[in-house]
Amino acid sequence: MLSIQNLEAGYGKVKVLHGISMDVPKGKVVTLIGSNGAGKTTSMRAISGMIRPTGGTITLAAGGQERRIDGLESHKIARFGIAHSPEGRRVFATMSVVDNLTLGAFPRLTRARPRGDVEADLERALELFPRLKERRTQLAGTLSGGEQQMLAMARAVMLSPEVVLLDEPSMGLAPILVDEVFRIIQRLKSEGVTMLLVEQFAAAALAVADYGYVLENGRIATHGPASQLKDDPGVKAAYLGTSH
Amino acid sequence: MTTSPSSSAGLAVRKPNLGLRVVGIVVALAALVFFPIVVPNTYYIHLAETIMIYAILLFGLDIVVGYTGQVSLGHAGLFGIGAYTAGVLAQSGSGMVGASTIWAFGLPIYGTLIVAIAVTAAFGAILALPALRVTGPYLAMVTLAFGTIIQILINEMDFLTAGPLGLKVAKPTLFGHKFDERDYYWLVAAILVIALVVVHRILKSHLGRAFEALRDSPVASDCMGVSVYRYKVYAFVISAGFAGLAGALYTYSEQYISPNTYNFELTVLFLLAIIMGGRKTRTGAILGSLIVVLLPKMLDDITTFRYVATGLAVIVAVGAGITLARGMTTAKRIAIPVIGTVGLAIFSFSLRSVTDWRLTIFGLMILLVVYYLQDGIVGFVRGLFNLGRKASVSVDTTEAEAASHGDALVTTSSDDSKVILDVRGALMQFGGLKALNNVDLSVMSGSIHGLIGPNGSGKSTMMNVLTGIYTPTAGTITYGGREIGGQAPAQIALSGIARTFQNVQLFGEMTALENVLVGLHHTFNANLAEVGLQMPRAKREEAAARERAFSLLQFVGLAYAANEEARNLPYGKQRLLEIARALALDPKLLLLDEPAAGLTAPDIKELVAIIHKIRGHGITVILIEHHMDVVMTVCQTVSVLDFGQKIAEGKPAEIQANEKVIEAYLGGEIGADVAHEAGVH
Repeated sequence: MLSIQNLEAGYGKVKVLHGISMDVPKGKVVTLIGSNGAGKTTSMRAISGMIRPTGGTITLAAGGQERRIDGLESHKIARFGIAHSPEGRRVFATMSVVDNLTLGAFPRLTRARPRGDVEADLERALELFPRLKERRTQLAGTLSGGEQQMLAMARAVMLSPEVVLLDEPSMGLAPILVDEVFRIIQRLKSEGVTMLLVEQFAAAALAVADYGYVLENGRIATHGPASQLKDDPGVKAAYLGTSH
Repeated sequence: MTTSPSSSAGLAVRKPNLGLRVVGIVVALAALVFFPIVVPNTYYIHLAETIMIYAILLFGLDIVVGYTGQVSLGHAGLFGIGAYTAGVLAQSGSGMVGASTIWAFGLPIYGTLIVAIAVTAAFGAILALPALRVTGPYLAMVTLAFGTIIQILINEMDFLTAGPLGLKVAKPTLFGHKFDERDYYWLVAAILVIALVVVHRILKSHLGRAFEALRDSPVASDCMGVSVYRYKVYAFVISAGFAGLAGALYTYSEQYISPNTYNFELTVLFLLAIIMGGRKTRTGAILGSLIVVLLPKMLDDITTFRYVATGLAVIVAVGAGITLARGMTTAKRIAIPVIGTVGLAIFSFSLRSVTDWRLTIFGLMILLVVYYLQDGIVGFVRGLFNLGRKASVSVDTTEAEAASHGDALVTTSSDDSKVILDVRGALMQFGGLKALNNVDLSVMSGSIHGLIGPNGSGKSTMMNVLTGIYTPTAGTITYGGREIGGQAPAQIALSGIARTFQNVQLFGEMTALENVLVGLHHTFNANLAEVGLQMPRAKREEAAARERAFSLLQFVGLAYAANEEARNLPYGKQRLLEIARALALDPKLLLLDEPAAGLTAPDIKELVAIIHKIRGHGITVILIEHHMDVVMTVCQTVSVLDFGQKIAEGKPAEIQANEKVIEAYLGGEIGADVAHEAGVH
C-alpha cells in the first residue's frame, strides 16, 4: 500500500533521516519504534508532506494505481488518502467536535476523494469514540487532553483513508486512557484500517502491530514481524526498558 | 579560531572568519569617513545623512519588531516627537516663522539631542501601554492611532510648534564652529557608529535575550523571572530613545520641519525597511534604510532605472542558480521571480519615461522581496551561504568538566521535617467550572511529591495557580512561610519556584544555551549604561552566566546541542532543556509538568536519574506524570486529583492499591501491562 524507499529528510541544515525504507502493506499495522530524536516524527511528517523530503521516494498504491507522493503538498497527499493524526493532536480548538470531524472529511466533501456517506461515517466515528459522542457540540479546545487525542484520531479516520499515520496517540494520557487508545487501535485494525504507528510505549505498540521497524539515528537498524521484535534481546534492552 | 579573553574555563566564543570581519569593518568605516570627500556634491551628502538617520531609527524599531515581536506603526510619531523636541529647543528667537517667540531656548545640539532622546523615550513608555494588553492587528491599530494623534498634536499646538508653518532650524554650531553639510555628515556618521555598537551590545546582553524570550513565550518568560510587563516597556522605551535621536538629527539635517512629514506613509516605510533588510540584524537595518531612501530616487530617472532593473535581474538569476544548484529549491518555485525580474529589465528598456510607472514599480519590487525573502535580504543571503548568525560557542570538554566538577546545581539546605509549600482550600473557578475545588496540598521540604489524576482533573491548573499564572478564586498558598497567592509570576519565580510546561514552552528561535541564559537572568545586575559601555561588571556577569549555563546543559546531557536552536531539538531533548532552564533559577521548589511525556523507556531512565540528582541537592520537586513507573519509583508522597478534588493521598504503594484511584485513573488491563513492561517492579 505505502512503500518508502531511501527516504531522506530534515530541517534546514540538519538532516534527520538518512535514507530509510519501509513497507506498509494493506490492512496491516506497522509500528516505527526508536529513541527520542531517532526521526520517528520526522518520518511521519515527510510522508504526509508537512516537510519536503530531500531524497528517496514514497509510493502509494491505491485504487488500482501506484502514485509517487513525495514532494507533493500536504493537502494533495491527503486527497490521495493519507490521514495524519499528528503529534500533539492539533485539533481545531475554536470549532466543535462535529465540525472538526467534518473537516476531516473535507476532501470528500469537495469530491477530491470519493464522497461516500459522510454523515453515516460521522455517526460511526462517534460510535467508535463514545467520549466524543457525549461532547459533539463542545468546542475542541475545551476538551481534556485525552478527548482531544480521540478527536485527532477520529478526524483522521473521517478521511476514509488508505493509510492512517498515528503519531504518539498515547502521549500525555492517563493510564486508563492509554488502555482506551490501544483498544481503539485494535478495533480499527480489526476493521481493516491500514496504520503506521509511532508510540512511546514500544511494547504495547508491538503487541498491536503486525510488523515493526526500529529507527536509530535516522536509519533503520532492524525490522521484522512484531512478535519477533518483541522477543529480540537487543530491541528489548534498548527500547522496551526491561533490562534492569 | 580566536579565543575571547573573557571566557576562562573552557568556554570559547568562536567568531567565524574574524580576520575577514575586521577587514570588512575597516573598509566600511573608511567608506563612511571618506564619502563626503570623494563625493563633494551636497545633494548626495544629504541623501547619505538621511539614510544614516533612518538607520538609527531602524536599529530601535528592530528591537520592538524583530526582538520582542510586536508591531509598531507609531514610530513615525516618535520620530516626529524627537524632531520637534530638538526643533523647538534649538529656536534662538530669530528663526521662528510666524507665531510667538517666547520659546527661545537656543539650546546647543548636545542639549537638544539628549532632551529629544529623553522626551521621546517617555512617549515610548506611553506607546508601550497598549502593547501590554493587545497584540497583533489590534496593537497595529492602536499604535497607528498613536502616530496619527502625534501628527495632529504637532499640527494643532502652534504656540509651541508653529503648526503647519513648520520650524526653521540652522545647522548646529559647536564651540563657535558652524557646521556645514559635510561636518554635519561626519557628526551623524559618528553617532550612527556609536548607536550601532550600543544597540548591538544591548541586544547581545541579558536585556536582548529577555526581549527575545518574551516574543517566543511570554508565559515562560514570566516563569523564568523575566517580567513580560517590565521588559515590554523597556523595549519600547529604548526603541523610542533611538527614534528620538534620529528625529533630532533629522531636524538639523533638513533645517526645516513641518508636521506632514511624520505621517502614515513614513511609518509604513520604516516597517518595510525592517522587513526587506531583515529583522534581528543591524546590517539589515542599514540595508533597509538604503533601499527605502535610494530606490524611489533611482526610479526617478529612466537610465538609472534601467541599471537597477538589469542589476536586479542578474542578482536574482544568479541567486536562483545557486539555490537550484544546491538543491534548496525547485525550478518551478524560482521561475516566477526570475521571469519577473528579467521581464522588468526588458520592460525598462522599452519605456521612454519612468515617471508614470515609478510607484507601481516600487510597489512591485517590495512585493517581490516580502513574498520571496521572508527573512529579508540579509536573512536570505545568510541562508544562501550558510553563514551562522550567532557566534558559536566551542567547548574544550576536558577543561569544562574540570571547571564544573560535580555539577552546576546550587545545593539548598532542606529540612526534611518542614513543610515548604502549604495549599489550603484552593478554589479555582472558570465561569461555572470549578477546575480546583477546595484542594489542600502539603509538600514536605526536600521530598518528591507526585501529583496524578485523569486528564482534565486540575493538575495543570494547580501548577498555574502555584506559579501565579492564575490567581486562585479562594484559598491560601503559603510557600516558605509566606503567602504567595495573587503574586505576579515573575515575582514567584524569583522567590524560588521554577517550573516546566506540559506543552513545551521554549524560546524557539534562541539556542539551547540562550534558553538557559534567560533562566539565569536573575544573576545579572548590570544596567543599560553598563551594558552599552561594556563595563567590567557587565562582562563579568555575562562570562559567569555563560559558564554556568553550559554546565547546566551538561547536567541534563545537552552540552553537545548548546548552539542548536531550541525549536530544532527533538521533543524529548526539549523537555530536558526546559528542566535545565528551570534549574537556572536556583529554585527551592521545582514543578515538573509531565516531563516523561513522549519519552521512550531508556530516556525515561535518564530522566529519573536526573530527578534523583536534583533532589540530592535539596531541591523539592512536585511531579505531574502519567507514567506510573516514574511516579512510583521516585515519589515519597502521591496526591491524586479527580474533577478538581483530591480523592486520595499517601505513599505510592497505597495509591496503587486504592480502589478509587484504580477506577478513576489507573484502569486495569493494558495500562498495568504497559507500566509493567516499562519497568515497574
